Amino acid sequence: MNFPMTMADISLWLAVMAIILLITSELVSSASAYSGDVIIEKKRLRLAALALGVGFMVTVIARIFYPF
Amino acid sequence: MCPETSKKAEEKTAETTTIQHLIETIKQLQGEVENLKQELRKARSIPSGKIGFAFAVPGILALVAAVLNNSTILAFIGLGLTFWGALFFFVRPVRYVHGSLIDSTALPTYKTIDRIIADFKYKGRSYYIPPYPKDVYLPEYLKGLKDPVVFISADTGGMPSLEELAKSKFLLANPNGICVAPPGLGILTQLEKELGKDTSKLQLTELCETLPPLVVENLRLAGELEMKFEENDVYLRIFDSVYKSLYAGEEKLKSVHLLGCPLASAIACVLAKASGKMVTIQRIDTSVDGRAVEVRYRMVESQT
Repeated sequence: MNFPMTMADISLWLAVMAIILLITSELVSSASAYSGDVIIEKKRLRLAALALGVGFMVTVIARIFYPF
Repeated sequence: MCPETSKKAEEKTAETTTIQHLIETIKQLQGEVENLKQELRKARSIPSGKIGFAFAVPGILALVAAVLNNSTILAFIGLGLTFWGALFFFVRPVRYVHGSLIDSTALPTYKTIDRIIADFKYKGRSYYIPPYPKDVYLPEYLKGLKDPVVFISADTGGMPSLEELAKSKFLLANPNGICVAPPGLGILTQLEKELGKDTSKLQLTELCETLPPLVVENLRLAGELEMKFEENDVYLRIFDSVYKSLYAGEEKLKSVHLLGCPLASAIACVLAKASGKMVTIQRIDTSVDGRAVEVRYRMVESQT
């Protein structure tokens, strides 16, 4: 009973999610005329996007030192 | 027909008309109550919480299934669903209240000030007095100078002295007038919190650039905000403010035109803090439909 994803899979997943969230948070926070009525915590969304981006970068750095 | 009978018949007809009118009004009000109930139901339900559950539960199940079956595809699906579920919980909407509630809570303050002004027969102006910056050391007996206050003068006389201001008194004798907390004090605190610094450290030109997006996008207190700086005057145009009904309300509040609505008052406080000069509201004009409000401030050198 092992977790079926390798580090490469997780890295790819992090990259895709980070891109989606970063684009979303940029659109939501910058174009206020269109996104003004979106009543979500925009700062938290940005934080989550940045956290995923950082997570992806960590996997990339890990790949340099410990290739997988 | 005798006149008494005809009079009774007329009275009966009038009564019937009044009852019909009342029934119609009740029906209309009942309809409004139903609409409000529906709005309340909509506002109370938090959709993102439910969406979060809908994503997280199948996601966790998919992850468990992925581990049991050693399936990469299920793991990707599970991870994605769980993550999005958690994200929906994380970015769920902050609690919003109806805009009309905001101006109705400000109403009692203005009514009280109206009563005071009427009682004392004051005909002067309001002067927003610049407080000392929070980080500056002041001895205990001068601590009152750190509070932002607005001085309402009895006539067009002079300004209160520093000693009187330091005592944090309400009624001032020389010159005659009262010192009250500005109605926009709460908004001023919120603005400083959003800016992350004391407004006394900002330049006036900086304020004209930073305040409008802060009020419109972050605090959402107005639809549009325009601020222009002209020598000692500052022109402010607020469009679709949450406080617009204070200017056009049935109460015809005098103090709103004297002190400005909480938003205009907060901006006066900011101007006083940033310039270090007293700020007075020269005039307030509202558009015919009441959606646009124009405020002209003047910065005056204190003669204390």
